Amino acid sequence: MVSAKSSIPDEQLVDATLAGDDNAFAELALRHKSRVFGVASRFAHDAAELEDICQDVFVQAYFKLRQYRRDSPFEHWVLRITTHKCYDYLRKRRRSGTHLSVDAMLESGYEPSVPAPPAPHPDLERLHAALAQLSPKERLVITLLELEERSVQEIADFTGWSTSNVKVRAFRARAALRKLVENQK
Amino acid sequence: MNDQEHDGQLDALFAQARARRVDTSKAEYAFETRLLARLRTERETSSVWAMVSWRLIPFFAVCVVALAIWHSEIVTETSDAEQMAYVENPEPLDSLHNLN
Repeated sequence: MVSAKSSIPDEQLVDATLAGDDNAFAELALRHKSRVFGVASRFAHDAAELEDICQDVFVQAYFKLRQYRRDSPFEHWVLRITTHKCYDYLRKRRRSGTHLSVDAMLESGYEPSVPAPPAPHPDLERLHAALAQLSPKERLVITLLELEERSVQEIADFTGWSTSNVKVRAFRARAALRKLVENQK
Repeated sequence: MNDQEHDGQLDALFAQARARRVDTSKAEYAFETRLLARLRTERETSSVWAMVSWRLIPFFAVCVVALAIWHSEIVTETSDAEQMAYVENPEPLDSLHNLN
C-alpha cells in the first residue's frame, strides 16, 4: 500500500487525498513526519505535547489541503503550519504558566532507541532555561534561526513576518538570551 | 567579559544544542495509523455536527416564525390597549409640555 506510493510525487498524493484517498495522505505524513517532529521537538514540553503538535499539524494540513497553492514544495507548506502550531503551543503554555523544564522530554518517558542520550550538559540546561524565559515570538525566531539553522527568508515565509521584522526580532532575542545566560552564572 | 566573548559563548551553546537533537523515532512510530484514526474521528464529529445542525434548521425556523407571530400579537394588543386607554381618558397635550 504505502511502499507502492513511495515513488509518487507529493503533488499527486495531494490530488489523491483530495479525491478521498486517505492512504495517500498517510504516505505524505510518512514522508514529512520526521521534519515536523524535528522542528516540534525544539518547542514541545514533553512527548505527549510533541504528539499533539504533530497530529494538529497534519490534521490541519488534511482539512486545509485545498488551500495548498503548490507554489512551494509540500514540505515547505507543512513546515509553515508546524511553525504556527508551535507558536500557538508556546503562547498557550505561557498563558497557562507552565514552565519548561530542561530536557524534560528525555526524562518524561521518552526512552529513545539507540544510541542512548548523553546526560544533560549544564550549559545546555542554562540555554534551555533561558530560552524558556523568552517571549513566544523571540523563542520561535531564535530557535528556527540558531537551532534549526533556517535562513531569515525561510523564517519570514514560515511565520508570515517581513524579513526585516525577523531580523529585528532575532537581534532582540539574541540580546535578551545573552543577558539571561549571563545572569544565570 | 565583552559582548563579543558573550556572543562566542552563545554560539558555542547553540552549536551544542544543534548537535543534541532529541531522538523522536519512538514518538514517530506508527504515527500515520494514529493520525488516520484521529482524522476519522474528526470527520465523524464534524459530520455529526453538520447533520444535526442541518436537521435543526426546520425546528429553529418554526421557533422564529412562532416568536414573530407572538411578538406581533403582543404589539397589536399593546397598541389596542393604549388606544382604548386614550379614548377612555384622553390626556391633555398641555400636560406634556408643562412639566415644570
